[in-house]
Amino acid sequence: MAQTAPADVNAGRYGSGHSVRRIEDPALVAGSGRYVDDVSLPGQVHLVMLRSPYAHARIRSIDASAARAMPGVLAIYTGADLVAAGVKTMPTPGPFPRPDGKPSNVPPLQALATDTVRYVGEAVAAIVAETRDAAREARDAVEVDYEDLPAAVHLEDALAEGAPLVWGPAGDNWAAQARHGDAAASDAAFARAAHVVALDLVNQRVAAVAMEPRGVLAYPDAETGRLTLRLSSQMPSGARDTIADTLGLAKDQARVVVGDVGGGFGMKTGAYQDDVVVGFAAKTLGRPVKWAAERSEEFLVGRAGRDCRSHAELALDADGKILALRIRTDANVGAYATTTGVVIQLLIGPWVSTSVYEVPVIDFDLRAVLTHTAPVGAYRGAGRPEAIYIIERLMDAAAHKTGIDPAELRLRNMLRPEQMPYTNPMGQTYDTGNFPSIAKQGLALADWSGFDARAAQSKARGRLRGRGLATFLEWTGGNQFEERVTVDVSADGFIEIYTATQAMGQGIATSYAQLAVDVFGVPIERVRIVQGDTDRGVGFGSAGSRSLFTGGSAVRVASQRTIEQAKDLAADALEASAKDIEYREGSFSIVGTDRHIGLFELAGRQSERRVYVDSTSTVSGPTWPNGCHVCEVEVDPDTGEVEVVSYASVNDVGRVVNPAIVVGQLDGGAVQGLGQALCEQVVYDRDSGQLLTGTLSDYALPRADLVRSFRTELDQSVPSINNPLGVKGVGELGTIGATPCVVNAVIDALARAGATERAQAMQMPLVPEKVWRALHGA
Amino acid sequence: MNNFQFHRPATVADAIQALAGTDDGRFLAGGQSLLPAMKMGLSAPSDLVELTRIPQLAGIRVEAGALVVGAGTSHAAVAASEVVRGSIPALAHLASLIGDPAVRTAGTLGGSIALNDPAACYPAGVLGLGATIRTDRRTIAADDFFTGVYTTALEPDELIVEVSFPIPTKASWQKFKQPASRFSLVGVFVSSGPAGVRVAVTGAGPGVFRVTAFEQALARGWSAAALEGIAVDAATLNADLHATAAYRAHLVGVLAKRGVAAA
Repeated sequence: MAQTAPADVNAGRYGSGHSVRRIEDPALVAGSGRYVDDVSLPGQVHLVMLRSPYAHARIRSIDASAARAMPGVLAIYTGADLVAAGVKTMPTPGPFPRPDGKPSNVPPLQALATDTVRYVGEAVAAIVAETRDAAREARDAVEVDYEDLPAAVHLEDALAEGAPLVWGPAGDNWAAQARHGDAAASDAAFARAAHVVALDLVNQRVAAVAMEPRGVLAYPDAETGRLTLRLSSQMPSGARDTIADTLGLAKDQARVVVGDVGGGFGMKTGAYQDDVVVGFAAKTLGRPVKWAAERSEEFLVGRAGRDCRSHAELALDADGKILALRIRTDANVGAYATTTGVVIQLLIGPWVSTSVYEVPVIDFDLRAVLTHTAPVGAYRGAGRPEAIYIIERLMDAAAHKTGIDPAELRLRNMLRPEQMPYTNPMGQTYDTGNFPSIAKQGLALADWSGFDARAAQSKARGRLRGRGLATFLEWTGGNQFEERVTVDVSADGFIEIYTATQAMGQGIATSYAQLAVDVFGVPIERVRIVQGDTDRGVGFGSAGSRSLFTGGSAVRVASQRTIEQAKDLAADALEASAKDIEYREGSFSIVGTDRHIGLFELAGRQSERRVYVDSTSTVSGPTWPNGCHVCEVEVDPDTGEVEVVSYASVNDVGRVVNPAIVVGQLDGGAVQGLGQALCEQVVYDRDSGQLLTGTLSDYALPRADLVRSFRTELDQSVPSINNPLGVKGVGELGTIGATPCVVNAVIDALARAGATERAQAMQMPLVPEKVWRALHGA
Repeated sequence: MNNFQFHRPATVADAIQALAGTDDGRFLAGGQSLLPAMKMGLSAPSDLVELTRIPQLAGIRVEAGALVVGAGTSHAAVAASEVVRGSIPALAHLASLIGDPAVRTAGTLGGSIALNDPAACYPAGVLGLGATIRTDRRTIAADDFFTGVYTTALEPDELIVEVSFPIPTKASWQKFKQPASRFSLVGVFVSSGPAGVRVAVTGAGPGVFRVTAFEQALARGWSAAALEGIAVDAATLNADLHATAAYRAHLVGVLAKRGVAAA
């Protein structure tokens, strides 16, 4: 989808560094966005899924004969139908062995279940009819005979002796394990430590709840049989590859097209079973087939994130210097361990477990566990919120135990700028960072030292005030550093830039357009950013806060290459030497003369009436954005209600292309982090495995009234040296910092009221009843 | 959602008649509960008899020491009404906290109390003020109206026309929101006036109820301190994902005291 700015602009104010209004927004706020369900095709039919009501059951039989005979019904597919047609299983994780050294143990993931269902919501049949209502009515007439089996829903139940097995062959529910660090050195460090703190921490399962539920519109080309799928996806190329592979198609026999995406947050990264089923139906029926997830389906099967419990220990010397960090984590990855679900918990999160601190020794034992719940995947932050939550909770616990101020304890352990580049115990190298400077600025912005006066004011109003701090960093990037960009300068006066990264509401098209304006010096409305079509270019897509530093860098490089290439053409047109040509604000001229030719005029002189560059470039590494987030809360001692009364942060995201977008990303991310801290939780019934938070009436999203306001500042003095823009990823930073920051503040409020131990034992979300009970020991 | 026949009568009598001619018809007021139930397949009426065009169900007035609100009045209209604010501000406050702006614009007083959702706000206001429900055929005291979970004293084809609220000397609405739905996790309406001293609770139990121990204590002396030491029995209260019965019982006490202090 192409996005251009309104035509009331001049170039100078629209380059990078300015809070340019998002070029995406006029269409979106006017209701003319094109989400999957907005698009309909002639002859289109509708598909609905029949989903398992059981967490664990054997499918004895499926009788769809009555449903098939209903008016308007075109087809009903079961898992057996897909297997018979040659549809393959979907990819499952490979690299991590089990704790017993055997290969990872996961059931094969089928697009539709065949003999066994392993979570409530797993699809067992797909019904295609002329209308959505007809498909739904037919769904009610499909009779599935289930044999209900015992389910292992909670982690501890899945790990208990004799637990119901999600996948039989291994004899238990361990899926995979990773060990990191040096256990012996860690043991030695703990043995000589002056202080040891230990916490049991649960990072609950949380749902992404993108405003636009997923959808698929699949349609075959009548002549070539080629399959096109319109998806709501962050990673169109990867989705295409998986869908094609699973359907037995060559990659070039499938195309994925993406229009507007109403939020991704990580849950729209990979291909889903649903995508394969809809593609199969379209290919088989030879008609456009649409499926649009309902909100309740997204709660059931849209990839949720997190869901792990950790026992974490920190060893410190008498001065409060960290000696070692030991973490044992069991991660509930659901019934079908996905690659992302496992890698996030066993590798990506641990990359930042030591965060901005100098931690000499680590000992991590991280395990993935299968349960009879929906598969877990990526959710904003993806592993890093879990890691930072652990270390920041430990830092506060250590501060409490040693009597050292939490800010001072952090500063005492913080890596110094002269240590950069720094390789952490996970082998990850931070390119740049001035963490103490960011921390001190954050503490000053929040008036950390003025807390007591505010606490006294709160007390006078009958409220308990607490303050919380998180100093932290994160890794961004997906470790896919190459991006391809095409630039098409056309005679009609537009520069069209295609990139395979993907807009999903984060404002990336605007940021790219600003970077193009930097190079071309043309008004921003001359720039069109196009994304979301695997026929025009493929790449890793948008995940892990990588778009700007990889895709944006590639846009700049491609734009520069376009100017260079056009200089040669201009030299020909002006009958001069290329070295004498200079480019400025849309025009090439011979240095020292008034002879010139406009960029678009030059394009019109070419045989194809355009200047076209296909550019691939790479950045040299990930980025390490970091920040200091400080919040203060007031607790109502009568009810346990928590109010976030102030939230201040200083953030190093490197150079900033669009400050308004960056601040929006930070604040929006923080709201999601606050949601996890205070109200969000996916809850399954422990015995039956039924999803209890299946609607927005029971899944508590954060609302605008959760926080009064954010004071969000950006420090651009420490650019990344791993990319030519000097930018760092920003999409997840706010989420990562907010959760521990708020939880630390609530614990602080309760600790000041004498309830430290009970406060430290609370697990998220910190709903009023939990806080009230911890405060009063009720 | 299943297909249904749609009727839009202009009078109360026509509405009753229209419903009588259906297999499994339902009155449709603001539709803020019925329509979601139909969309989720939980309800599939053959007919909907829509009530928003009936003038007899509209209007807000004060007469004979009572505030009379037409059953078809939206929550937003009650919240914004100078008549309501001037006579029973606690009722305007209650209406202003229901749902969200979209719900308040469409949802109605009559629809809310006819459904009698155990966590709805209006039943607490109606019971807590000792109101009288006037239907197409009779008047029903609030104490007799709410009979159980999603059940009322209404006949299947009986239509609420208006509700008469005696104007109290003191009243307050205290709501503790369920964090997701924003219904009342616990809501307490306290009042003192022509209908006596009343403490009505919604959200906490299987339907709206009065706390007589609180009422007796407040009748002896209207102060939050009068409620100290009086516990609400948690045994009959709700426990769910969002709160235990014990916490709900605790909140009833906290909110009642706050209401008494604020009234």
